[in-house]
Amino acid sequence: MVTEQKKKAINRLQTMRPLRANIDKTYTRMVEASKAGKPTAWCMVNWWEADPILYAMDVAGVYPENYGAVCAADGIAQVHLERCDAEGFPNYLCGYARNCIGYAARLKDFGEVPPDAPLGGMDKPMLLVNSTALCDARYKWFQSLGRYLDAPVWTVELPHPGVKESQREGAYERDINFMVEGLREFIAFLEHLLNKKMDWDKLDETVNDFIALNRLWHEINELRKARPCPMHSRDFWTCMTASLYPGGDLKESLKLYQDMFEEMKDRVAKKIGAVDPEKYRLVFAELPPWHDLKIFDELAERGWNFVVESWAYHPPKPMDYSNISDPLERIAKQTYQWFTGYFKDALKNGEHMGYFAYPYLEFVRDYQCDGAFLHPLLSCRTATNHLMMVQDRLMQKLKVPSMVMEGDIVDLKAFDHAGALRKAEAFEEIMDNYKQARREAGMAW
Amino acid sequence: MAKVESQGLNRVREIYKDRPRRARELKEEGKKIIGYLHIYPVLEMLTALDLVPYSMFGELREPITKADACLPTIVCPFLRSLMDLGLKGKYDFLDGAVTAHMCEVGEKFTHVWRTYIDLPYSHYIDTPHTTHAAAQKQHKEQLKEFKKSLESFTGKELSPQRLKEAIKIHNEQRALVRELYDLRKPDPPLISGTETIRVMVALMSIPVEEGNDLLRQVISEVKAGKTTTEKKPARLLVWGSMIDDTALIEMIESAGANVVMDDIWVGSQAYFADVKPTDDPLDGLAYRYLVELKSPRTFPATPVGLTKKVYPEDLEHRFSYIRDYAKEWNVNGVLLQTMRYCDIHGYEVPGLRDYLDNIGLPNTYIEWDYNQAALAPLRTRVEAFLEIIG
Repeated sequence: MVTEQKKKAINRLQTMRPLRANIDKTYTRMVEASKAGKPTAWCMVNWWEADPILYAMDVAGVYPENYGAVCAADGIAQVHLERCDAEGFPNYLCGYARNCIGYAARLKDFGEVPPDAPLGGMDKPMLLVNSTALCDARYKWFQSLGRYLDAPVWTVELPHPGVKESQREGAYERDINFMVEGLREFIAFLEHLLNKKMDWDKLDETVNDFIALNRLWHEINELRKARPCPMHSRDFWTCMTASLYPGGDLKESLKLYQDMFEEMKDRVAKKIGAVDPEKYRLVFAELPPWHDLKIFDELAERGWNFVVESWAYHPPKPMDYSNISDPLERIAKQTYQWFTGYFKDALKNGEHMGYFAYPYLEFVRDYQCDGAFLHPLLSCRTATNHLMMVQDRLMQKLKVPSMVMEGDIVDLKAFDHAGALRKAEAFEEIMDNYKQARREAGMAW
Repeated sequence: MAKVESQGLNRVREIYKDRPRRARELKEEGKKIIGYLHIYPVLEMLTALDLVPYSMFGELREPITKADACLPTIVCPFLRSLMDLGLKGKYDFLDGAVTAHMCEVGEKFTHVWRTYIDLPYSHYIDTPHTTHAAAQKQHKEQLKEFKKSLESFTGKELSPQRLKEAIKIHNEQRALVRELYDLRKPDPPLISGTETIRVMVALMSIPVEEGNDLLRQVISEVKAGKTTTEKKPARLLVWGSMIDDTALIEMIESAGANVVMDDIWVGSQAYFADVKPTDDPLDGLAYRYLVELKSPRTFPATPVGLTKKVYPEDLEHRFSYIRDYAKEWNVNGVLLQTMRYCDIHGYEVPGLRDYLDNIGLPNTYIEWDYNQAALAPLRTRVEAFLEIIG
């Protein structure tokens, strides 16, 4: 008997798959480099502040935060979490960190990549690269890895000005100078560690590639404002890795983003949505339960299309870098633009958290969202601090309701799948009511 | 009839019991009260401009009923408590607030606080995370910006001379606090850990010169034997997250220990480093507040030239001052405590325990929730630890 295959509720982008595969190669590339005695690093997501420098110095980097998501999806994370607990770290710490610490402890036990490590694992690095962007874990976690690894730790600084303070005269130049000086120190450190000189021409080209990559990624996301939205958050999360965890071949990633841009344009022209019919357009905050991504398929069956996500994982607003000859200044300005790009508008709108919180107001308005799915992460202060305030601001300013479901990025015990689906049903009525309220208030959607 | 002012420890107890009272009195006299958070806001600048620094604390004895609307339950319970007090109008006497990048949640708290609590003045110091040369320079620039914002708020110019005078007064307070801490070195200590916390909380609630007078009175009373402590087998150093209430220390001391030293914000962290005299006072301030303060929120500079991290050396670099404290105060046990969700201290725990184990100093770790009820179950663990070292 022939049975009709059930149509998948989320129409995934075809161009997403080779992009992901290119990034997944990062892990094998790092292990191979390590075996060959070439320079390797474990890096925090650094929003392109350290990445171009590492590329230009031929350091094969991997990103333990990304590996946390990989381990969560694979199911091995639970083993690492338990090991981390046994090592004496408090269990309220970041799930990605706990996964990595548990992994590092096992790496030390085995003396090589543990046999059950997904995607080929992460080998012992020559260097750990911290970033002070956003969260304490980003530097405390790598500092604590000294128990298991003898790699030196370098920290790249990202200033965190307040919205008001960032707009004062001279603040921008001061912060950029600080970053550039810090990067010069980083290069001096790397040159000594690797016993080689920076290839400045290569760095120049690499920085331009990163800028081009992010510009293209931004344009792809702009196309998601279309109705129906052609790209679901599932694809965003898969593809953000090429920008945030820029492993693999950079030029190849650039080409694959270009392919994705073409596919998106085609979908927009043909009015092909990622979810059909698109009954509700939602924003997702912050990171999803990686171990339970199937919930998005079930929500898609109800017509929920997730059309935009947190500012933190999006590329910076485009700006003109053409007159900046110093590649370090271009690096600093791109990263700073990512962090502060919304600050001016936030101040104009009387909002004090110009990153994380305020961008949701712009996104929800520009992408015409009916609701927000807020996912407070039990082990991540960074992704959670602002969510109650976001819920409040979205309602006060845009009459957009939020559904709150607690969970975690790694710990699968923390997310109530069935509870989320039960809430979803009731939330649809709320979204319908507020859609009416927005219309009555003369809003555009 | 003239009002009789209480003195010394009685005054400390009065202030501790009703912290805002003195601030409200000063406000009525026309002074401007500026709240500050943690040890990174540069208080000398406030004092130099005749502003009254007032440390913003939570209230662990009061249930959080309003802050849930703007801060989730999984962030620092102390900051949630502080937010709660703000929303309830309990900081309505403040004319402004100064915050700094004390930790990630503290930084984000600034923005949430500003969203919901509208004060005439606010400033945020973006304290760098590392101590590299570039970070030190950046910190000085941050302080210049802070100075400008204060000048604009007060309409007064902050001259280097006034700043140097304020540094002198604050350094005097630091020296007096260290003198008080010296009185915890004898066995039994001349002042308990509980009473010391009260003194610290009181100091952070009144103008610095008043605090100096108060400290002199307290020191004189303690030396005169007006405080009594029992000799106990355990002399503990308490390390970790912020403590702004006597409850935790009282529980430890009533379980059979003398808390003779601390490494906490409302304690040695705030007072043990002086500002060095420099031609430009901002240099001394920038250095002290970035490099010399002991807090795990700052990442010590990695030297160019380092090719391998040697774990014991790293621990020595980060924690040797605790060994020195232990030696000087004749400590025979360390109690590590973190408030739940305190990341910067949480990550330190295994490393610090490794260090203490290596130098043969018994230690234990507890985690608590910034409320009194959370302390009862911890008592058994503290008692068990005291039995081991006793």
